[in-house]
Amino acid sequence: MDTQWPRWEVFKKDTAKKPYQAVGSVHAADADHALLNARNVFVRRPQAVSLWVAPAAVIFSRTAEQLEQGNPLPDVDQSVQQTYQIFRKATHRRSMTFMDHIGQVEAPSPAHALQAAIAQFPDPPALAWWIIPADQIISSGEDREMAAAWFDPAKTKTYKHQSAYGFVSARPQGRRRSGAKDE
Amino acid sequence: MTKINEMTMNDEKQTAEFEARIARGEKIEAGDWMPEAYRKQLIRMISQHAHSEYIGMLPEGKWIPHAPSLRRKMILIAKVQDEAGHGQYLYHAAETLGATREEMMDAFLTGKAKYSSIFNYPSDTWADVGMIGWLVDGAAIRNQTMLAQCSYGPYSRAMVRICAEETFHHKQGKEMVLLYAHGTPKQREMVQDALNRYWWPSLMMLGPHDADSPNTPQLVRWGIKTKTNDEVRQEFIAETAPELLAAGLTIPDPELHFDEESGQWIHGPIDWDEFWQVVRGNGPCNAERLGARRQAHEDGAWVREALNGYAQKALST
Ligand SMILES: [Fe+2]
Ligand SMILES: [Fe+2]
Repeated sequence: MDTQWPRWEVFKKDTAKKPYQAVGSVHAADADHALLNARNVFVRRPQAVSLWVAPAAVIFSRTAEQLEQGNPLPDVDQSVQQTYQIFRKATHRRSMTFMDHIGQVEAPSPAHALQAAIAQFPDPPALAWWIIPADQIISSGEDREMAAAWFDPAKTKTYKHQSAYGFVSARPQGRRRSGAKDE
Repeated sequence: MTKINEMTMNDEKQTAEFEARIARGEKIEAGDWMPEAYRKQLIRMISQHAHSEYIGMLPEGKWIPHAPSLRRKMILIAKVQDEAGHGQYLYHAAETLGATREEMMDAFLTGKAKYSSIFNYPSDTWADVGMIGWLVDGAAIRNQTMLAQCSYGPYSRAMVRICAEETFHHKQGKEMVLLYAHGTPKQREMVQDALNRYWWPSLMMLGPHDADSPNTPQLVRWGIKTKTNDEVRQEFIAETAPELLAAGLTIPDPELHFDEESGQWIHGPIDWDEFWQVVRGNGPCNAERLGARRQAHEDGAWVREALNGYAQKALST
């Protein structure tokens, strides 16, 4: 018996200027539950203005290696278009994120959307793609008040940042910046 | 016969391609082809790592009500909460390999799965909180920085995220220890006592000597580990020992010295009997820790029940 709730991929947007980035996944019964888990697991630190979640099962994913075998297009009605969000992995560099959101295309199928994305976003070359129907992505919302309630509490907790401690060293050249003399 | 040969050939070819990918520095992602042994090793390592984060909340969590200032209390709450979060990142990473949360929890609660030996030592005084931050989180960062290079994408990314947070754990502990090392005689005595108890277990937690770690070469070849236990331990001592000494503390190893010729710190013999005793469940706090974890799991039953009720409704609509 499968007791596992569906897996959802989580995308976090750190600032208004940054793209949504895949940060990991959570198991959840529905989108609201997934968003709540995503917030608890991935936003214990500041730098978030919004979250997206999408069921892992609806993601059309292709690696560069797979695409060497081609990208067969299904025979579908070209007049029925829908919006797909495009995510790309462009580097093997060490990182805490996976795919970056780079834009959206209109297409009649995920494979068609991928074909359009390859033409539209050639640089840098992709190592892997994720194509997700826009209507399957659920956002924590653009609402300012909601965003503040979800993401602002972490902002004032500066003691969670290693930078709050400056350079901590026992060596003579190390200048200690310590606020606590009350112990 | 032919079929088996073909399968083996195919397997060998795939393994060769897989190893070539790792050699090129590519990350292996969930769903990519991987040898069964690679998948199993990763599930074992990642879930043990997750259990360690969870158990790691206990020795320090005990001190939250007794923090000497509001600032220290907020820091400690945040740190313990981070450890729970690290457990979550890691369980999710293991789940991408096909392990289920139930299997992992079950192995943890029944004592089948291991977790880091270090958390089976008691936290006797408030100064232990500082020493754990400096030494235990410090040793963990050394290990985790290495694992952040690992070939499995989801594990590597979880490690990068965890290391960024661990640096806060490390610094707050070090800051506290240094403050006390330069503080009142009583404070100095407390941190020295904490160092006496935590130095050796911190060296042990980085694992057996290379000669006694038969799995290491395979793990290195597959890019799961990129350094051996002894290499990581050496890095840890080189980073920590000079600073502890500069703080006026005494490291409880009369043989510890810096060897100019090799540029290495030479330490006295590690008591591996003690290490294996702790790993096999006979450390000072094994029973207490696992008991507390089981109790917490039982106490959380109503939350799982409520969520299941919600899920049944959500999934049937
Ligand atoms: Fe941690
Ligand atoms: Fe930590």
